[in-house]
Amino acid sequence: MPYREKTAWLSLIAMTVTFGPYFTFVAMHSIEALPNLRLLGLFGVAAVAQMLILGAGHLYLRRGSAEDARTPPDERDRAIMGRSISSAYYVLIAGMILVGCVMPFDSTGWAIINAALVMIVAAELVHYGVVVVSYRRQA
Amino acid sequence: MMECSISNRIRTLRFHDAEMSQAELGQRIGVTRQTIAAIEAGKYSPSLEAAFRIAQVFNLPLEEVFQWDAKATH
Repeated sequence: MPYREKTAWLSLIAMTVTFGPYFTFVAMHSIEALPNLRLLGLFGVAAVAQMLILGAGHLYLRRGSAEDARTPPDERDRAIMGRSISSAYYVLIAGMILVGCVMPFDSTGWAIINAALVMIVAAELVHYGVVVVSYRRQA
Repeated sequence: MMECSISNRIRTLRFHDAEMSQAELGQRIGVTRQTIAAIEAGKYSPSLEAAFRIAQVFNLPLEEVFQWDAKATH
């Protein structure tokens, strides 16, 4: 498995296990008021946990395939990267239109913040998902 | 409508060139082993530059390494 596919899997897993529980909690509780330190703290925990998982994961992957990690991306890697970024861009732009132009008419506070976060995470999931699928299809 | 596919003889050429490994060929043209594997399997079409570099490694013209099959479908 190419090193860049492994890092994409790592990012997908890190996002799923950290922001998955966060958004599940948000969906199960109606939280509108600002400020909400409990929710802010929960978001902080999810973000820090994601960074720790990514940091440890990258260290582990680099140790396992140091030469692959040092190799600069070739033309296929760059093509896959370009495809994944353009796919994620459309998700992000659609999300930002929804959050910035539609939601302010009927939502406030944390609902808008969390919707923005959902769209950012969704765009990242699409980004890394397209990377993984592209490498799998060409494997 | 034209349905096109690009095939190649890289695997055979590697075998005849002292069983050159995918990693070695990749190193010589500046791509990863996995990219060579994807090109050989016909799952990735290389850039024109990479195709020329591969042909240069084997000292062959491009058309002896890569073949373009065009099938007309209506």
